[in-house]
Amino acid sequence: MSRWSHWLPLVALVPVVGGALVPVLFRRHGRAAYAWTVVVAASTTLVAVMLMQRLSVEGPFSYAAGGWLAPYGIELRFDRIAAITIPFSLIAGLAMVFSRAYAERAVDPARVPFYYALLLINLGGVNGFLITGDLFNLFVFVEIFSVSAYALVATARGPVPGLAALQYLLFGAVSSLLVLFAVGVVFAHTGSLNLEDAAGRMDFSKPMPVALALGGFAIGFAVKAALFPVHLWLPDAHAAAPAPVSAILSALVVKTGVVGMLRTFELFAGAEAMLSTLFTLLIWLGALGALGGAVMAFVQRDIKLMLAYSTVTNIGYVFIGLGLANLNAAGGAGVHVVNHAVIKTTLFLAVGAVIHRTGLRDIDDLRGLSRRMPLTAFALAFGLMALAGIPPTAGFVGKWQIALGALEAGRPGLMAVVIIGGVLVLAYGIRVINAMYFRAPASVRVLGADEAPASMWLPVLILAAGCLALGLAGRMTVDFAMMAMRSVYPP
Amino acid sequence: MTEVAAWLSHVDYQVAVILFLVGLYILLSSQNLIKKVIGLNVMETAVFAFIVTSGMVDRHAPPLVNDTVAPLASPLPHALVLTGIVVAISVTALALILIVRVKAECGSIELDEIGELDEIRDASESGESAR
Repeated sequence: MSRWSHWLPLVALVPVVGGALVPVLFRRHGRAAYAWTVVVAASTTLVAVMLMQRLSVEGPFSYAAGGWLAPYGIELRFDRIAAITIPFSLIAGLAMVFSRAYAERAVDPARVPFYYALLLINLGGVNGFLITGDLFNLFVFVEIFSVSAYALVATARGPVPGLAALQYLLFGAVSSLLVLFAVGVVFAHTGSLNLEDAAGRMDFSKPMPVALALGGFAIGFAVKAALFPVHLWLPDAHAAAPAPVSAILSALVVKTGVVGMLRTFELFAGAEAMLSTLFTLLIWLGALGALGGAVMAFVQRDIKLMLAYSTVTNIGYVFIGLGLANLNAAGGAGVHVVNHAVIKTTLFLAVGAVIHRTGLRDIDDLRGLSRRMPLTAFALAFGLMALAGIPPTAGFVGKWQIALGALEAGRPGLMAVVIIGGVLVLAYGIRVINAMYFRAPASVRVLGADEAPASMWLPVLILAAGCLALGLAGRMTVDFAMMAMRSVYPP
Repeated sequence: MTEVAAWLSHVDYQVAVILFLVGLYILLSSQNLIKKVIGLNVMETAVFAFIVTSGMVDRHAPPLVNDTVAPLASPLPHALVLTGIVVAISVTALALILIVRVKAECGSIELDEIGELDEIRDASESGESAR
């Protein structure tokens, strides 16, 4: 297998190097930068698929960067959790395809090549984060995708994005610092930076450093994941960013916080009391975030803000699943991480197509849209149904599994939270669908709109098909996710 | 509580924690965006100081040579902090650029003068439809 052994770092290196080359090669050629970006994203997806093939044959495998073996060298690992590089690369690739027409209008022409460069670097950071087995490398990749995300928010025009990006940066920088602090504590405590090695060396007889490290990781990644009281940066940043960026932030960047927690919890397997306190806290905050986010989404007029708050809701579900700490619920959380990514990308890109054609963001202004933009309106409506979790769509699988896990843990109240959240989502989904399909057009801009260009509706429809396919293949994805979670939550 | 006492007996760790809290206070309480970035930098310095001083190993076995137990300055934290400083500089640079943009577009770098994002959003939207 030596022929294959060097493929693992490529899943992060291809997009990072490809992205860094964009401003060098295509500084004055926005269109060429677009083609290059799509090719690089496609290659990244291909590499991820090949790694997946090897995973299914050999099981989890690792790669020693530079030939320095673990625990001294930097270790990259490809396990079942890292397998989400495939859907993530695919989603990011589709968002990049979508950017062709969108970026021309939403982004300053001189900045378009940088916009593509940042998209690719962001994808590379996320992929690298998912495959790393080294704590400091983890921090470096956190910063790669975070800093590129702050800058991506600021690529949109107008007075709001700059301020929203700065707010996002301040929150994000503090959370990255907490992660770095926790990495430092673990290093001082164990003398190792390799995740597996450090986990073996943790001395749980000294509660202070263990608690500091756990707290640093938990709070740091909770901010990245926009868990309830520290979600404040999310709505403004996600609503202000260009639509493809909103999609990537909601689908990929927020989920890294979840994966970060999963990865670092391995270190604290011996501190049961602390972990169970943290899990209880995660359940409560997740439930509050799920309900609070749903209510806030319900009262929004701006459709992008509505979608941004719904991300808070779904992250709440995921954390309920993680906090319940049984295999059913955690598997459900794992599935929901991917399924929500697909659904939310569908929605943000469809909304982006609407904004591109009409310039409207207010839900009431979308009346009669289905007559002028049938494909986009269909994808938007279907995505909202999937978001509400109507079977057999993708949103149903994860939520159902988390609800089952709640019953298994003897906490039917949490099942009620999941259902009430779903009903609220359905309520605001129906509000949008009603406006688009059953009302006469009220705005001149809707009447004058044409269907979005193929570079927009094609990725949107592919993603909408994904919302259905992931729902139909629910059993398979759940089995896979439960297997992936087995390393974090031993049965 | 002896454990807590042992942790706090490290003067360097105490200084790092105090610096961190000072930075956090500046970040949270200040309305001026530049001061917020300064607060962020103070926090960064605190974390770097913590990691560098934790590299002075005198209790654990050295990471590479396991058979000697002697005071040593581990090179690894220094490498980590160098990387951390590079990251911190890029974050600060991006923050300053964004502040320049906020100043150009909103006319101020004081958050209480700029007002809430919602108001700016509504104002810019009504401006667009007027056009």
